[in-house]
Order: sequence, then C-alpha cells, then structure tokens
Amino acid sequence: MTEASQKIDTAEKREPRIGVFVCHCGHNIAGVVDVEEVSEKAKSLPGVVFSTHEMFMCADAGQQLIKDKIDELKLNRVVVASCSPRMHEPTFRRVCESAGLNRYLFEQVNLREHVSWCHMRQPEAATEKAWDLVRMAVARARQLDELPIKQVDVTPRTLVVGGGIAGLRAALDIADRGFEAVLVEKEPELGGHVRKWTHLFPADESGAQVISPLIRHVERHKLIDVMTNSKVAEFGGYIGNFDVKIENLKTHKTKTVQVGTVVVATGFRPFEPEGYYAYEQSENIVTLAQLQELPPRAELRRPSDGRIVKKLAFIGCVGSREPGKKGHEHCSRHCCSAVAQASADLKDRVDEVLILYQDIRTYGRGHEELHRLALSKHVIYSKFPREEKPTVHVDDDGNIKVTWTDVLTGDQLEFEPELLVLATAMIPPDDVAETANLFSLTRSGDGFFNPEHIKLAPLTTHTAGVMIAGAAQAAKNASESVIDASGAAAKAVGLMARGKVEIESTVSHVIPELCSACHTCITCCPYGAIAMDEEHDPPVAYVTEAKCHGCGTCAAACPSNAIIMYHSTDNQIMAMIEAYLCPTDMEQQGGN
Amino acid sequence: MTMAKTQTDSEHEWTPRIVAYCCNWCSYAGADLAGTSRIQYPPNARIVRVNCTGRISPEFILAALDMGADGVLVSGCHPGDCHYTSGNLKLRARWAIMEKAIEQAGIDTRRIRLQWASASEGQVFADGVAKLVEQVKELGPIQEEWK
Ligand code: FES
Repeated sequence: MTEASQKIDTAEKREPRIGVFVCHCGHNIAGVVDVEEVSEKAKSLPGVVFSTHEMFMCADAGQQLIKDKIDELKLNRVVVASCSPRMHEPTFRRVCESAGLNRYLFEQVNLREHVSWCHMRQPEAATEKAWDLVRMAVARARQLDELPIKQVDVTPRTLVVGGGIAGLRAALDIADRGFEAVLVEKEPELGGHVRKWTHLFPADESGAQVISPLIRHVERHKLIDVMTNSKVAEFGGYIGNFDVKIENLKTHKTKTVQVGTVVVATGFRPFEPEGYYAYEQSENIVTLAQLQELPPRAELRRPSDGRIVKKLAFIGCVGSREPGKKGHEHCSRHCCSAVAQASADLKDRVDEVLILYQDIRTYGRGHEELHRLALSKHVIYSKFPREEKPTVHVDDDGNIKVTWTDVLTGDQLEFEPELLVLATAMIPPDDVAETANLFSLTRSGDGFFNPEHIKLAPLTTHTAGVMIAGAAQAAKNASESVIDASGAAAKAVGLMARGKVEIESTVSHVIPELCSACHTCITCCPYGAIAMDEEHDPPVAYVTEAKCHGCGTCAAACPSNAIIMYHSTDNQIMAMIEAYLCPTDMEQQGGN
Repeated sequence: MTMAKTQTDSEHEWTPRIVAYCCNWCSYAGADLAGTSRIQYPPNARIVRVNCTGRISPEFILAALDMGADGVLVSGCHPGDCHYTSGNLKLRARWAIMEKAIEQAGIDTRRIRLQWASASEGQVFADGVAKLVEQVKELGPIQEEWK
C-alpha cells in the first residue's frame, strides 16, 4: 500500500482550472433555483475557466460533457452542483477518473436536498443560498489536493458472528462458494432460538427439524471452522484485512484470525415482560418464546402443577408498538403469525383459545392463511382498545383472571385461562452495545443495527466490509433472516471474489517538525492509529494509515496544528467559510 | 444589475447568516432526509460537511463568528452513535470550553448551537436550524456585538 504521505505535489502546484456544472435535475432544482444565474455568476470566480448548466448531470450526456471539458479545457478541478454527494459523489468521481482526473479533485454541491427541496416557496432566497454554496465549493476546490488511490487485498475468509439460523445460512453459502468461514457462537450449541422451538410457522415443523440439516452441513463442511462457546474479544483493521481475536468462554484461550469480511448475525432476545400483565405472579403466565420451548406432548399441561390446560389465552403486542417508549416502539413482526400458528395448533388439544389483540398483521406469505385457519377452528379473536390494555389478576389460589373491553361490542369481558401466553417483543440481545462498539455499528431507535441505507443497501453497514443479517438488523422471522443471510453472504463473496478493494485515502498525517510530542492525538484517536515514533529524534507522533478511519478528531485536538486531515484540511474548510462570509469583490459580484 | 440588487436587499433587510458544520454520517444525511421529505425550513444555513463532529475545532467556530457569521450550528450523531464511536464526545468536551471563550469575547452564546440529529431525523435537523435562526434574529447582527 502506498502511504498517502509520500504523495503528490502535482495538482496543488498547478494553477487551478475549475469547471462548474450546475444541474437542473429536471424541474427538481431548476424549478426553484435560478440555475442559469448561478452558473453565469460562477464564471467570474477565481480559478473558474468554464461554467454551465445542464438538464441532468448524472445522465450520459452530462457525464460526457464533464469528460469533454476536462479534455478540451484541461480542467484540473470539477465542481458539480446537483444532488446530495451521498447519492452521486461516487458517480462523478468515476467520471473524473475516467477522464484522467484524480477523484479527490472533484467537489459536489448539494442544491437539491439542501436547497430546492427544502426552500420550495422561496426561490430568491434559494438562489442566493445556491450561489453561496457554489462559491464555497469553488473556494474549496481551489484548495483540493490529489491523493493516491489505494487498493488493498481482501483476505479470502469471512467471520460469521452468531450461529443461529442466519449465521448458519451465511456460513454455508460462503463455504459453498469456495471461501473459508469462521463461525463464532457464544452458546455451546449451534441453532440459536430456532432449535429450541417446538413449532415454527408457516410450515408445521419443529425448529429442530428445520435447522438440524443446516447444522449438520455446517459442521461437516471442510471450509467452515465452527467455534462454539466463543466470542469475539477484539476486532481491528479495515475492509479486506480485519484482525479478530476470538476467546473461548470456557477455557479463556484466545485465537487470532485474519478475515477479509464479516457477517454479523447476532439475532435478538425475547423481551422478558416484567411489570406487564402480572407476568411475575404466576408460573402459568409465560411468554410466547417459553410456550414454543415447552416439550411437545399430546396434551398441553400448565407449568405450575402439570394439570391439563382446558382454557388458553394469548395477549399480543406485549412490549411492542408502544409509542414514546424507547426500544419498544417497533412492531416485532413475527408474533401475529406465530400466535395464529400456535393457537390453531393447540386448539385441537384444548377446549377454548382466546387471542386478545390490538391489531393483527399477518403480512407474510402463508401467514394470512394461518390466521384464517385459526378462525376456522373457532379460536376467538377479541380486539382491545389501544389506550386501555387488558388487566390480569392472579388470586391467592393462583387462578388467573383476564378482564378487558372488547372493541366491537364495547362490552367489559372476563376470561379465566389456565395458561396465559404473552406474545412479547423481539429486542436486541443484552450484549448488543458491546457488539456495536466492537464493529463500529450504529443502532436505530429500536436498538437494532443500522444498515448502510434502508432501501438501497440494507445488508451492508457504514463499516466497510461488515455486513448484517437477520434479526440483528430488525425484528424479523426465520425465513426473512435466511433471505438476509444469503444476501449478506453474497456481499462478502463478491468482495472476496474480486480479491482487491479500494480504500479511502482520507487519512490524517502528522508533520514531524511541528509535533510537540504532547500525546493528545494518541489519547483521542478512537482506533489506536497514532503512536509515538521512538526512532525519530526527538520522538514524535505518527499515524498508521491503515488503521486510520479518517474522522479527523486528532487534527482538531492537536494544539500545535501539526496534523493534516487529508481532504478535510483546515485550509479547505476555512476557504469555504471565507468564501461565504467575506467574499472578495470578484466573488461578491458574480458576473461582470 | 445583480450587484446593485444584492446591496439594496441587504440594506433594507438583515437576514442572519448561519454556518452549519454537519458530520457526514448522521446530520448531513438528516439534512438530506429533510429535503427528501420536503420539510421546509429557513434558508439561512450553509452546510459544511465534515466527516465527524470530532473534526471540528473551536477555531472553526470562532473564525466563522469572527468573519461575520451571525450564528454557528454544529450537528452530529447522537452520543453513542458516532460513526467513529466517540468523535462527538470529544467535540462535546470542547464545546463547554468554547462556550466560555465565546462568552468572554462578549458574544452571546445563543449564537452557537450544538445538536444531535441522526440520519432518520430530518425534522430534528430542520427544527434545529429554525430554532437557531430564531434565536439569532432576536439577538440581531453579530457586528453589533463585536464592537
Ligand atoms: S460521525 Fe457523526 S458525530 Fe462522529
């Protein structure tokens, strides 16, 4: 890998020749912002040799225009004023590169998400804002430096964290494509929650029946290294080259492996509904997960004394869909269908089954049919009001009484089940924060891991090379988890099959002459990427570029201004502020 | 002409100029979402994208105020959600000291605002801009405080 520090004095030494391309985005930008005025004014900015406006910059014609102008006018900086760089920065960087211009000499202005769409009724103010932003971008462009493009090899091995149904599927898919997988599971056995369930919807099979063949395949596969009773203790490195320390929880022995990619499939935990519906007051009030783990028998027997259950009740949405309660606002998705399956199934063994619900959402393939099956077997569904939950009372003899208002009749009703099942939420596992920290993943309001993009990239994360699959990402059922797992495995395989991946050159760099060896940067770096170079006389701080993720915290913290954050230098940032607030006469006027 | 028009405008009516430093991963994306959701908010802020709020040194804020920004917004990921795990905590630690410095310079600290807005919080981002603009409007142009 080339060090960014041994770069590059080409572009910065050259006179800037900047091209500005303002995009209409059809009517999206041009309908609010006077794009013609903005591009006209930009012509007078220092360094700008060309400025125009165009219907769609991201379309073939727009891309070609950029290439032609780079060629014809020897542009050495390109500014495109269009949509969010989070959308098309990669596109335009590629265009520049295909015309021989280093990707870091491209700068994008966000005139759509940040201007025209949010100031739709103020065209004049929007145009003024657009002009300010273009001026700022051009000022920054003048300061941009070429950076080396770094490519690294991808180690052909994947770490799969979690040996539940998603982790098993992912490991097997990867291994079947001929790549090694290391599967880490903290429990003594593979199979996760699914293995323990006696019934699984929509097919009437036990969890063990479903998952045993998968476990067998995984355990026998030559390319899969299964490590049960184990957890990931340390994780470092970067895409293609992660170092993982795995600890055996029994022996406390550790093992270090190198992997190129990671699939996090750490799943969920069923919510323990303390404080809900007298849960702690009777052994005969259980969660849906506990019901699913009861031994399969000819009759349904209640836990307290083994008596045969005649009357059974379920309550839905326990700890789910509670607006304003952090971590419990989401719908847990699997429960409506699982309750329908369990009730239809158990109706054959008990006299009465009652389901108390807020709403029923049997959305998946085959799930509505389960709901209908339950109804056809005379399972009683009764809806209670959202603002008035049922109450559960356990008397001194241990009898359970449920009281609620039925929405359809408005009547106050009662039922005395021998067994009450609470369909509780899917929530993240206890150690989710630890896992998030380990892999630098962010979490959403429900506590599960955030994908890179909710629609466009649901399986990758903002940590390049780390994928998420299954209920680690959100509440979902077993089939959905398996779909995710195969998708995440395909992502990992894609990276490994290519064998090489480009990484960002936006890292920080210590100027040894300015470093006062105060250690501030060493203590503030979240990645341990900065250390003292003891060989240097006097010792100074230095950055290991491969470990640097480019946050720039060190550059801001350095009291000696000895740290440069590439592509986000003080000069580049200050140039923007100055161009906004103190434009030179030439900048001020635009046009002439 | 364009120039003449700009000048008359600024003579008649003062509109606050706000510099908004946003981290790429949460707040810049939150501002994108505000746009995508067509949330309308005051057009006074100019967003400067940085990788992480940890990148923002007090100098960036002081320099902006010095150059005539009427207000400065810093918007990042919620504590615990920083893409680089803890950059925003470093910024938060600096913030307290910086507020003091600003106060000592005779500048009203209501001109600066630190907020957390995730990529899914377009409304939070927009409300934050509106709030700062409102505060700054009450205070008037910064020139009057610097003298
Ligand atoms: S990345 Fe958003 S605050 Fe650090």
